[in-house]
Amino acid sequence: MTHRIDMTGIGKSFFATRALDDVDFSCVAGEVHALVGLNGAGKSTLMKVLGGAIERDQGRIEMDGRDVAITGPADARAIGVAMIHQEYSLIDELTVYDNIFLGRELHRKGTPFLNKAEMARRVRAELKRFGLSLDPGRLVRDLNSGEKQIVEIMRALMSEAWLIVMDEPTSALSEGDKERLFHFIRRMKSEGVAIIYISHHMPEIFGIAERVTVMRDGRIVLSERTTDTTEEAVISSMSGSELDDFVKPHKAAEGEILLSVRNVSKTATYHDVSFDLRQGEILMLTGLRGCGAPELAKTVFGLDDGYRGDIAYRDVRLKPGRGPAAAVRDGMGLVTENRDTNGILAPLSVRDNIALPFLEKSLSFGLIDNTRIERLVDRAIRDTSAKTSSPSQEIRFLSGGNKQKICFSRWLDRDLELLVLLEPTRGIDVHAKADIYRIIEELAERGVGLLILSYEIDEVVMLADRVITFYEGRSISEYVHPHFDKDRMLADIAGTGPEQAA
Amino acid sequence: METAGKTTEQSPSPAISALAMRYLVLAALIVIASLGFGFANENFFSLANIGILLRSISVLFIVSMAMTFVMLTGGIDLSVGSNVAFAGGVGVIALTATGSAPVGFLAAILAGMSIGLINGIFVGRMKLSAFMVTLATFALARGLALVIYDADSINVSNAIFLWLGGTSWGNVPVVIPFVVLVFAVLSVVLYRTTFGRDVYAAGANFKTAFVLGRRPERTLVWVYILSGALAGLSAIITVGRVSSGQPWAGLYLEFDAITAVILGGTSLFGGRGRLFGTILGVLLYGIIINGLVLTGTNPYLQSLIKGAILLSVVLLDSWTQRGKQR
Repeated sequence: MTHRIDMTGIGKSFFATRALDDVDFSCVAGEVHALVGLNGAGKSTLMKVLGGAIERDQGRIEMDGRDVAITGPADARAIGVAMIHQEYSLIDELTVYDNIFLGRELHRKGTPFLNKAEMARRVRAELKRFGLSLDPGRLVRDLNSGEKQIVEIMRALMSEAWLIVMDEPTSALSEGDKERLFHFIRRMKSEGVAIIYISHHMPEIFGIAERVTVMRDGRIVLSERTTDTTEEAVISSMSGSELDDFVKPHKAAEGEILLSVRNVSKTATYHDVSFDLRQGEILMLTGLRGCGAPELAKTVFGLDDGYRGDIAYRDVRLKPGRGPAAAVRDGMGLVTENRDTNGILAPLSVRDNIALPFLEKSLSFGLIDNTRIERLVDRAIRDTSAKTSSPSQEIRFLSGGNKQKICFSRWLDRDLELLVLLEPTRGIDVHAKADIYRIIEELAERGVGLLILSYEIDEVVMLADRVITFYEGRSISEYVHPHFDKDRMLADIAGTGPEQAA
Repeated sequence: METAGKTTEQSPSPAISALAMRYLVLAALIVIASLGFGFANENFFSLANIGILLRSISVLFIVSMAMTFVMLTGGIDLSVGSNVAFAGGVGVIALTATGSAPVGFLAAILAGMSIGLINGIFVGRMKLSAFMVTLATFALARGLALVIYDADSINVSNAIFLWLGGTSWGNVPVVIPFVVLVFAVLSVVLYRTTFGRDVYAAGANFKTAFVLGRRPERTLVWVYILSGALAGLSAIITVGRVSSGQPWAGLYLEFDAITAVILGGTSLFGGRGRLFGTILGVLLYGIIINGLVLTGTNPYLQSLIKGAILLSVVLLDSWTQRGKQR
C-alpha cells in the first residue's frame, strides 16, 4: 500500500507575522521531497505543523485521502510521521537495540525479563534489510554522529513510521557517513518510505530527491520534479528579488589594514583561509551552518587555539592560546551568537552587564568610580536605544532585542578597534534589527573594523562592504560592494558555485 | 519566554524589591526571636550576654562573609571548618616555636591560604566540582590538624596572640569592632573593586565572563584563597577565645556558614546576594542557636533544629525562585 500525505491551504500566524500562508505540500511513499528556503522562510514551521509541535490556524492535512487531526506530536507519530532532528534523542549509556526498543521492550514470554537476544536479532535483521551493518549491542556513546543518525532513523522505522522528516541531516557528517546516509535513503525509498529532506545543499538535493519545493516568506514559490528544474532556478527562487532595490552608498575601503588572516586552517573546521580587514570596513562571512566561518571568527577573538597559519592584528602576529582577555585588552570585542548561554550575565543588572569590560578604565585610587560607571552605562543605553526601566533592572527580564543591544553596548567605547559579531540579529524583532544595523554602520564610520558572521543572505547583502562566502570550511569567493550577486552567493554557499563545479 | 520578558519589562526591577523584602523579613525575625528569648530568659537582653552572644558568633560572621564570596561565584567551600583547626594548629606551633605572635599570626593565615590555594587551583584552573574538591580538603585539613596537634590541644599564654579573641573593653569584646572592620573592608572589596565585580560575573555566567576577557578561572582561585585567609583569621580568634589550640576547632562551621549565607539570601547558583544579607543571616541563626542554649533546650536537639532551618530556607527559596522564573 502506498501512503501519501497532503497538506492543503496551511496557514499559521505568530502575532502579526504570517509564518505560513496558504501552503500546499505533499509527500508520497517511495519518494524524497526536498524542502528548501532561507532562514525564516517557513520550512521549520511547516514541519512543526506536520509533526504536531505547533497547531495550524487554517488548512487540512489528509493521509491517503482522509482527513487526519494532528494536534500533538503523539498524533503525528500515530499516523507514522517521524522527525529526525539534528540533536539526537538517544540515551548514550544504552545499547543500540535498547534505544530502538525504548518504551516498548520485548520480554521473555510470561516473565518480566527482557528478551535481549530477540531485540538484537530484530534490529540486526532490519539493518540488513536496509543494507546497513552496525552491531546492535554497541553502546550509543561509542557511535559517531553518522551511526547515531542511523539508529535514530531505525528507531522511527521500527516503530511503524513511513514518513521521515530530516532537518539538514548531513550538516554534522563526514564524507563517508554522508555516502552511507544517501545509500540508506535510496534503500528506504525502495522499501516504500517517504522522506522530507530539508537542506540547502544543491548537489545533495539533485542527487537524491524526486521533488523539490522552495519556500520564501511563508509561501511556496517553486515546487517541481527535480528532473524538470535546475539548481539555478531553485537558488534564484530562494532569494527572490524584492529586496535587491536597497542600495547602500558606496564607500571606498581606504582604512589601514587592521587584521590580516593568512592560510589559517583547523582540522575538520576551516581550511586555508586568507583575508584582510581594514579599519572602518564591514566584512561579512556567510555560509550554511557547519561552514566553519563562526569558528574562524572566534579564533580571531582568541577563543580557539588549535589552528595553523598566521593571524596578524595591527601588524603584530597573534599568539595562539592568548585567550579573550588579551583580545579585549587589545581593543577587540565580541558579540556571541548565543546571548543566553554566553552573552548575558542573567542574574546581574543591566548596569553590571554593560560595565564589566570597562571596570579597569573606571578606577580611581584602585576603586571603582561609580559616577563614571553610571555615566558610561547611561551613554551605552542611550546609544543603543535599549529599553530598560532602569540600569538596576536584572537583564534577564529584557526582551531578546534589548538583551542583544546590551551585549553590543559593552563595546561602544572609544578604544574599540575590531568588533567580531556572530549572527548579530538572531532571534530579534524588526525594530531591534534596524537599531543593530544603525549601530554597526556608526561603528564602521568611526573606523572600527567589523568582522560579521551571518547566515541571512539579505542581511549580508544589505550591510556588507565586502562578503566572503564559505562552503565546508573553505572560502569560496569574495564580493566587493556594490558588485554583490545574491544568486551567486547562494550558489557558493550551497556548493554549486562556478569555482566549485569542477 | 519572549512574551514573559516583554510583560515584566515595564514593571520596576523586581529583584531589588525582593531583596529589600527579604532583609525586612530577616530583620523582623531577628526582632521576634530576640523578644521571644528575652521573655523566656531575662538574662538574654543583658549587655554581658549580648557581648557573649556576638563573640560566640564572631567566627561565624567572618567565615560566612568569606562563604558569601565563594557562593557568589556559584561554588561552595566545605573545608573552612577543618581549615580553622589546621591554620590554628600551624599558628600555635609557629608561636610556641618562635615565641613571636606576629610570626604566629602570619603562619596561621598563610596556612589557611594554602588550603584555599589548593581548592582554588582544583576548582578554578582544573574545573573540578567545588563540592568534591572542598569535601576532599575538608577531610584533608582536619587530618593535617590532627597530625600536627598529635590529636591533643596546645595551651597558649602569649597575650598578644590571645588579644583578638580573648580581650574585652568593658562589656564589648575586642573582636566585635574587628568583625565590623572586616565587614567594611570586604564590602569595599566586593562592591568597589574589579575583583568584586568579577566574583559576581564568574558566578552569574562563567562562559560570558570568560568571553568578555574577565579571566573567571583566575577569580575563582583568588576567591578560595580569600576564604582560606579568612579561615586563618578565624583560627586566630578561636585560639584567643579558649586560650588554646584545638584539633577539633571549627567543627560543623561550614554547615553553620552555608546555612547563614543561604538564610541571608545569597543564591546557591551564584551571581546573586550581598554581604549585608549574610550579616542578617548570621545574626538570626546565631540568636536562635544561642537562645536555645540560654533557655535550656536539650542540646541534642540543636543539630535537629539546625537541619530543619536549612531545609526550610532552601525550600522557601526554591518556591520564591520558581515564582520569579516564569
